[in-house]
Amino acid sequence: MSIKLGDLSYQQRIEKGIENDFMREAVSSAQGRFRNGRLTQAEELGDWEDWRQLGSEIRTHTLENIDYYLQQLSEQVSKRGGNVFFATTAEEANAYIEKVIKQKNGKKIVKSKSMVTEEIGLNQHLEKLGAEVVESDLGEWILQLDEDPPSHIVTPALHKNKEQIRKTFAEKRGYDQSDSPEELAAFAREQLRKDFLSADVGITGCNFAIAESGAITLVTNEGNARMVTALPETQITVMGMERIAPTWEDMEVLVSLLTRAAVGQKLTSYVTSYTGARLEGEIDGPDDYHLVIVDNGRSKILGTEFQSALHCIRCAACINVCPVYRHVGGHAYNSIYPGPIGAVLTPLLDGYDDHKELPYASSLCAACTEACPVKIPLHEQLIRHRQIIVEQEKKSPIMEKIMMKGFAQWASTPAAYKLSTKLARTALKPWTKDETIKNGPGPLKGWTDVRDFPAPAKQSFRAWWKERQKGEVRNGNS
Amino acid sequence: MRLMKVSLFITCVSDMIFADVGKHTVGILERVGCEVDFPVAQTCCGQPAYNSGYLQEAKQSMKQIMLSFKDSEYVVGPSGSCVGMLREYPAIFKGDSEWEEAAIDLANKSYEITQFLVDVLGVTDLGSTFKGKVTYHPSCHMTRILGVKDAPQTLLRHVKGIELIELPIKEDCCGFGGTFAVKNSEISREMVKEKSQHVAETNAEYLVGGDMGCLMNIGGRMRREGKNIKIVHITEILNTHEQGGGIA
Amino acid sequence: MAIHNQDAFLSNVAAHLGRPRRISGVKRPSWSVRPQDRVFAGYSKEELLAVLKKQCQAIHTDVVEVQQSELAEALTDTIKRYRGKTVVVANDKRNALYGLDQFYEQLNKEVDVHIWDAQLGKENQTIAERADIGISFSDITLAESATVTLFNDKHHGRSISLLPKSFIAIIPKSTIVPRLTQAAQQLHASVEKGERVPSCVSFVSGPSNSADIEMNLIVGVHGPIQATYIVVGDK
Repeated sequence: MSIKLGDLSYQQRIEKGIENDFMREAVSSAQGRFRNGRLTQAEELGDWEDWRQLGSEIRTHTLENIDYYLQQLSEQVSKRGGNVFFATTAEEANAYIEKVIKQKNGKKIVKSKSMVTEEIGLNQHLEKLGAEVVESDLGEWILQLDEDPPSHIVTPALHKNKEQIRKTFAEKRGYDQSDSPEELAAFAREQLRKDFLSADVGITGCNFAIAESGAITLVTNEGNARMVTALPETQITVMGMERIAPTWEDMEVLVSLLTRAAVGQKLTSYVTSYTGARLEGEIDGPDDYHLVIVDNGRSKILGTEFQSALHCIRCAACINVCPVYRHVGGHAYNSIYPGPIGAVLTPLLDGYDDHKELPYASSLCAACTEACPVKIPLHEQLIRHRQIIVEQEKKSPIMEKIMMKGFAQWASTPAAYKLSTKLARTALKPWTKDETIKNGPGPLKGWTDVRDFPAPAKQSFRAWWKERQKGEVRNGNS
Repeated sequence: MRLMKVSLFITCVSDMIFADVGKHTVGILERVGCEVDFPVAQTCCGQPAYNSGYLQEAKQSMKQIMLSFKDSEYVVGPSGSCVGMLREYPAIFKGDSEWEEAAIDLANKSYEITQFLVDVLGVTDLGSTFKGKVTYHPSCHMTRILGVKDAPQTLLRHVKGIELIELPIKEDCCGFGGTFAVKNSEISREMVKEKSQHVAETNAEYLVGGDMGCLMNIGGRMRREGKNIKIVHITEILNTHEQGGGIA
Repeated sequence: MAIHNQDAFLSNVAAHLGRPRRISGVKRPSWSVRPQDRVFAGYSKEELLAVLKKQCQAIHTDVVEVQQSELAEALTDTIKRYRGKTVVVANDKRNALYGLDQFYEQLNKEVDVHIWDAQLGKENQTIAERADIGISFSDITLAESATVTLFNDKHHGRSISLLPKSFIAIIPKSTIVPRLTQAAQQLHASVEKGERVPSCVSFVSGPSNSADIEMNLIVGVHGPIQATYIVVGDK
């Protein structure tokens, strides 16, 4: 996989999403729970707006000085016995990881959930080499067995029900018990435990690297990331270059925001910060450690008005409040990064050609901006994308361009505007019945396909005002 | 006491389609002692073009608005969304030596009607009377762009005879989104279906809001579904009182 | 160890930021707000303990509070409750301090007790994997999230709190602080002083869990399935 998921058109994906009743029910109920969890935790913590402000300041400072902090991080990791590889592209990252695995003659690789490895298509790359790659996050494992992409960045298998999961386990792993979540999870525990113990290489993503210590912080509930970092002899961390905090104190704030905004928890069951290879005399942890820092299009976002999109801490709060996501689901975005942040990030990382519809898949209701724990102005960035699509990419439809030119003329010429207020009702008369338009012409069609449109007022406000002024003059009130 | 001078910013939707909203707004402003004028050169706030990414086209429209209200003391309009747009002008014209000052001036003196009543005039009770079961939809731009959450509900709570019913998940978008409703009409349809369902669950007789765009969307959908509800702009309720009143 | 492609990569980053590369002299600003300092500020240990106990309910973790003299009994009870046949214990200096050395020796007559032993190498992992229960002391305890902070090292393997089905944390009351803020401050301070921070700091809050199947909370996935905290008065 890479950023883009498949080849269906935007229209096809939207229709497929809307027709998937189970998915929509599941997403809607998950959103309700996430929303309540986040609001409850924010309230219990208190001063939520101050926390958001703090998170935003930390991220702003970090990104403004990202070269400095990445250098500090890499030197600290190296000092603690780890190797660091700076990868400009996905290909470079995959090639380095391949080299490490070949050197160690690695046959079995166990992974914990990581969006950036999805982004660079690492699994596919390693499988081509003949290595066995096992995803150990329960949701990711389900998807891996079923060869299905994630639809959410925190709960990747949100779109699947337990019966589908039971079937997948039965077909792929000979599972013969019920579809109760407890039994399914117990089966996964038993199966994956063997993988943890027999893997040669562990690969994880990174929630936050801590520059001052060269430590990598991973945030999980299942404990799989701890397994992956404690048991295999070789361990590789893959991080998007922006996923860094200057100090432990900054990491603390970001983790506090992340667990609340993502899953409504004060902390997840496990927050683990580890530094490179195990120390002299230690038993757990790898003997050989590698940190791969990935750019893959991120640096070109720096210095632009989209820089704050790199502040994202991947909590999915924007996804969990988005009404568009609720109705179309994650796969409709055709990107491993769905929802509002996906609509902002995907065109930046993967270009407008395949993703030019995404910035329009929003009513600009700003629920995302309000929910974001690090205050990314997501809806404003969607508008900015639209401007670029219109003005620089020139990818907007020709009819729309003509209409907008017309709009500008109309709205900057009071006489033309005034005339339209006078004529609107008459112009729409052929389509009007009982003060209602049910099958509107031209651009009104998209509206009336879905709902009624009201007939314009018999007398415009400005006409009424003019009459009233005259009347007042006549009555001597003026 | 000197009369407060207020220029009405009608918004194109109310000018053309919902003229009564303007009449009620004038009625309320005059009742609380304002002297209302209507600069006739005003057109549209530019939002349809701006939100679609047509910045240059939007700016032409915005300049017309700035010119129209350049001499006004206060600019008050019956829409959280359109007034929210005016408040964005300074960011849009930032660094534009010709227009930046006018943009800041307009943003600083523009208010949505309920915001003006509560925050500027300190009026929370207009002595209005309205009989009926009412549910309030707080539009996205009113609450999240303009930041007006309490003023409309404060005013509604003081209306005599009103039975206010809380709308489930009221902060959810109705799917209007201006051109979104046409450009992404399938998604918009699913959103407004859900909103219509939530409104129906309240069994209210009236759906009230501060943005006619949203009300036109929800009302139009409910009508299409054969659901019986009347949509009313908040000014219509606030301008209904025992001693005469109504449309002036 | 090696660092590859650093210069080219970071110079490109600096170029996009439109300025020369920053190699030194970057200072963290003082943030305009510090809400983290206000959480449970001024709470006594007893008040913080109450916060911790309440949060334990939310994270499916049993908590008992004992005097030092009752610690052995509390451990015995918990091990029995978990039907523990094999136990793996961190080789912590506090074992002696709290009189647990003799206790584990005694316990070893009925239950297979393994004290982590760096000399045994990987066998420790194998033992931990088969063990029913792992027992660790908390180094810093976070009241807000009911979290035990474990500074893992050669005497305190990461496996102890990870591989067995059940986990018992012994929490000296003096280790309780309001929240993650204080643990992070302590770690930051040791970096500033040039001290070496542990190779692995594990913040553990109760048993492992997942909500990946239809958002149903399942307690016990890859890590321990159940957890008990024993809060003990200080030595």
